[in-house]
Amino acid sequence: MPPDAPVQPQPLPLSQPDSQDALRGPIGQLVQNQRIIVCCGAGGVGKTTTSASLALAAARAGRRVLVLTIDPSRRLAETLGVAQNPTAPVPLSPERLKAARIHPPGALDAWLLSPRQIADEAVRRLSGSREQSERFFSNRVYQQLSQMLAGMHEYTAMEALHRLLISGRYELVVLDTPPSRNALDFLEAPGRLASLLDGRIFKALTPKKGGLFTRAASKIAQKGLSAALGDELAGELVQFMGTFATLLQFLNQDLKAMRAFLSGPDAAFLLVTAPTRQSLAEGFYFQSRAQELKLPFKGFVLNRSSLRRDRWTQEDQANFDAMPKTPILQSGLRKLAAMAEIEAARQKRDQQVLDELNRRAGERGFAKSVPEFPQQGSDMDLLIATARELCGE
Amino acid sequence: MDKTTLDALLNRRVWLVTGKGGVGRTAISAAAALFAARRHKRVLLTEIGDPAERLSPLARVFGRDLLPEGEPAPIAEGVLGVQLLALTGQENYLNSVMPSKMLARAVLASEALRRLAAAGPSLRELGIFHQLLTLLRQTRCDGTLTHELIIADMPATGHTLSLTALPERLLKLFRSGPIHDNLVEGQSYLNDPDKAAAIIATLPETLPVSECMELCEGLRTTNVPLGAVFVNRVPLDPFSPEERQALAPILDAYPHLPGATRFRRHPQSLAELDRLKRHLGEVPLVALPEIADDKPDSAPFEAERALVESLSRHLDNAFAA
Repeated sequence: MPPDAPVQPQPLPLSQPDSQDALRGPIGQLVQNQRIIVCCGAGGVGKTTTSASLALAAARAGRRVLVLTIDPSRRLAETLGVAQNPTAPVPLSPERLKAARIHPPGALDAWLLSPRQIADEAVRRLSGSREQSERFFSNRVYQQLSQMLAGMHEYTAMEALHRLLISGRYELVVLDTPPSRNALDFLEAPGRLASLLDGRIFKALTPKKGGLFTRAASKIAQKGLSAALGDELAGELVQFMGTFATLLQFLNQDLKAMRAFLSGPDAAFLLVTAPTRQSLAEGFYFQSRAQELKLPFKGFVLNRSSLRRDRWTQEDQANFDAMPKTPILQSGLRKLAAMAEIEAARQKRDQQVLDELNRRAGERGFAKSVPEFPQQGSDMDLLIATARELCGE
Repeated sequence: MDKTTLDALLNRRVWLVTGKGGVGRTAISAAAALFAARRHKRVLLTEIGDPAERLSPLARVFGRDLLPEGEPAPIAEGVLGVQLLALTGQENYLNSVMPSKMLARAVLASEALRRLAAAGPSLRELGIFHQLLTLLRQTRCDGTLTHELIIADMPATGHTLSLTALPERLLKLFRSGPIHDNLVEGQSYLNDPDKAAAIIATLPETLPVSECMELCEGLRTTNVPLGAVFVNRVPLDPFSPEERQALAPILDAYPHLPGATRFRRHPQSLAELDRLKRHLGEVPLVALPEIADDKPDSAPFEAERALVESLSRHLDNAFAA
């Protein structure tokens, strides 16, 4: 083999029998029984892959599942069939279902959250008439900016989740949350948005009645807004916010119902983390916030861990030692031994991390380590391998 | 690496450091600030703040919980720091357009407007944009620039694109007036390859490289010039070609031999680096080596600081080469 040719990655352990797919362990239990699993975590820890794998595991076990994702890599989006920004959940294609060995009644749908699309849909659903919704769509502020509204992403996630759950189409929804430094932002941001867009505020900007003081105050506010944005746009913005605020009052009801559901026994929150200091700090912060918010935090997934089951045994070592070696191989092996030391140090660290996560998770929680898989295989293989790790003993 | 290209990079006014989570973007931003300060640049290191935030990983590198608020203040030798806050920018802006300070204060006291400013579409981004513009404009008494190089650690990819796409998007709404003028001035910085550079941080791995390529495309649509790609954690390869050749069949026979994972990683990393280089063409690629965390028991902040110091030394080498 030429020295610079890429080394073929190890095949993923897919040849094992189907019994390997039985749902075991604490995550297997959740995948079997919950109605919603929320995967939280910082960006870059493999949250989307974990979410898709959990959904896959449930579908293989015969459940009707939807994975709701935010920002998958292009490859994963293609694997799930959502690369073209579909307007509704998309079932996995028949050949992919076959490749993933999902059989009826098991089903796996995927959907990409698009704030604009969900906002449009909410406007249509909640406005009384077609003219009314068309009028809203033609508002310049809405056209340009509805997706840039602070908290909009999070809001639409909750809104979509609620509707999909009450539709009864799915037995389980796995939610991949938007990446954020504060893993629970997606729960808190919609509430913030809703309170900020309180309809009264916009009445204050355009008062029809009220005392001298109210009108004087609103005049100052209007003046400020006009000076800052120009008269025409200030008017359009206030109109937009006013209408949107009314819509949000309806959506707020959904939000409240959803919050209640998320605190209930059918929901489970998992924190996906990587074995780095920063991810860990975030993980612990998440856990305490989840407890404060009375959310059913179930456990940690330690992703990209260097801990492996396929240990190098003494027997392997003996066989290896018995093998004749050339001088050049010996010098290579000495360098390999140095690399092994680095690997061992990482494994030791990851084991410490896992122990600490287990300790923090407490008796009723868990921490599950998932090894880093080579990324060269197909994404479906990666999802299957990850699903097996997650739902293994 | 072409030295003139990199030196030109140092002469730009603003670096927007971006990249997916987990690639070490924050450490790279901090290292770049230390490095530029050693090159006698007046550096301002900044990130988008959030009033609800209590801890910033970037600030932790400099032993603080958060970067300074409002006015830039020193955080390291030759480096000032400040948070980009929507509210700060919005206040600056209102002060600049209102006919009197008193009126501006009265407007800011309006509860309705404050809430609108916090949640209104794009008003947050506008505030941040305005603060960045104010910092870019600032000069000292002698007329020289207060902040020669502003390094912004940009959060997730989506945020970067929504900020860099902001001027074009909003110019459709503001056809004249002070915001229009500000946006045009901002564009004159952000879209000028002599003044601004997007710096993408990534890793020599399949997924991060693919994502980096996608981000390059995204930046192209917003007309922010791509300055360089910094590839973090490039593994060192101690093996000679002969040793590799001798080891390869052994590791095929004994795939679990300790050290095998790392042995395999190197050629994969090189292949990914190659793929990225081909995609980038003229755009400089700066490879930063993997730095062993040799103080596993030290306080997290000290270890992070040591990593950043070490990365900044590697930048010295990359730029001097």
